[in-house]
Amino acid sequence: MSQSGDRSRQSPTVRLLSARPRFRFAGWALSIGLALGVIGFAAAAQWKSSVARQEYTSSAQQVLAAQVVGLEQEQKTLRDELADGERQVQTFQSASAGSQTTLAELNQQLAAARLAAGLTKVTGPGVIIEIADSKRPVPAGDNPANYIVLVDDLHDIVTALWASGAEAITINGERLVSTSSIYGVGSSILVNTAFLSPTFRVEAIGPDGLLDRFLANPAYLSSRVTHRIDAFGLEFATQQAGSLTLPAFLGNTRFRWAVPES
Amino acid sequence: MRSRIAQVSMSGVALLIGLLLVGQLRSQARPTEISSLSAQDLSTLIETLSNRNRELRSGVSDVQEQLREYRLAQAQGQSALEVSREDLRRIAAFSGQTAVIGQGLILRVNGDLDSIAVNDLLNELRNAGAEAIAVDQVRITARSVCALGAGTLEIDGTQIERQFTIRAVGDPDGLLTALQRPGGIISQLKLFVNATIDATQAQSVEIPATQQDLQPKVAKAVQ
Repeated sequence: MSQSGDRSRQSPTVRLLSARPRFRFAGWALSIGLALGVIGFAAAAQWKSSVARQEYTSSAQQVLAAQVVGLEQEQKTLRDELADGERQVQTFQSASAGSQTTLAELNQQLAAARLAAGLTKVTGPGVIIEIADSKRPVPAGDNPANYIVLVDDLHDIVTALWASGAEAITINGERLVSTSSIYGVGSSILVNTAFLSPTFRVEAIGPDGLLDRFLANPAYLSSRVTHRIDAFGLEFATQQAGSLTLPAFLGNTRFRWAVPES
Repeated sequence: MRSRIAQVSMSGVALLIGLLLVGQLRSQARPTEISSLSAQDLSTLIETLSNRNRELRSGVSDVQEQLREYRLAQAQGQSALEVSREDLRRIAAFSGQTAVIGQGLILRVNGDLDSIAVNDLLNELRNAGAEAIAVDQVRITARSVCALGAGTLEIDGTQIERQFTIRAVGDPDGLLTALQRPGGIISQLKLFVNATIDATQAQSVEIPATQQDLQPKVAKAVQ
């Protein structure tokens, strides 16, 4: 009772101060202190690298980079327009007037030609191959390009897959056709018209045993990519797939220079 | 109450650490972000993307023309079967099932090229915009690759001798410039292989149809 009487006589400030334990380090306070130290270190490292990137990216590079982004956006629009136009063409073809027999025969031939050319979405069993940059730290004096996926690595994988009997292949969703190219610009890679980034996912549809034939194929065993996976630790994984669905090629299929012989 | 403050504080701190670590890891990755490519790489990328977009624009324009022909035939009550037959010829030529002819480039190769070198040459021609390619009498399709057969090089089961010819239809100037540029495929190959590669432009290059059956056996069309 007397205690309560004493408290009632204290000012609010005194009450608040006396409620706190003096010079007592709680476990959680220590943890937060340590964590704040880690944050400080990480923030300093992050800020330092951000400054380095800003210095590296000059105003001229920023202008060029903006042009690339603009061209990529234009490309997306053009591809959408092309896909839409092709869909309309196919609608006209299936609805064309004429003898039903002739029309059915022609549409069958068109469907077969499109399938053979890679202009049709397809499904079937196959393999998935993924390749990504090495996670190993680049030793001092070594070439950093050794540790990232290069255009030749994708060439080698695709060559070995075709040589093993693949019937349809995509790289990050880009379907490979007769005019497809895999093109390196510095450390960047373009497939068909698209600018791709790792991880590169190669999907291939083919007959049973495609993965075994690929892994045993001389085109793979003696390839540059096999050597680079071993030597520099490029991330590489393969997987059989019971059912894959690969998109149709999306791009220009109209020749400018080549004329079909009649 | 104190324990609740501690939990909230620790959660906030953990979140901050996570965000900073992600940022740090990202900054160590390869310069795939466009903004971190070198000015030279960006210039090459701009040129390449501009060329690719020009092809796409041309394709869009052709499709629009084809649609106009269908609409015209429909409006006049005529059969559009001929437009469709023309489309069939075009697609068959694109895949390699039909022979084609046009301006282009002829490469005469003589020497010890391995299969990787031949495949790299073919890919470089495609990069440069070749529309149709043949090695001797073998039409190069999407699936055609050069491989080491029984002691000799083979493409689609046909033997390729030490001396062979690659013919490509496409812009003759564009093809020649791409192959002969400093640091290009021909100068690279000359460093590593004992071979001569002579490139000449031609007004009329004939490319045969493939002898291969391109119809897939396992891959089925999805409607």
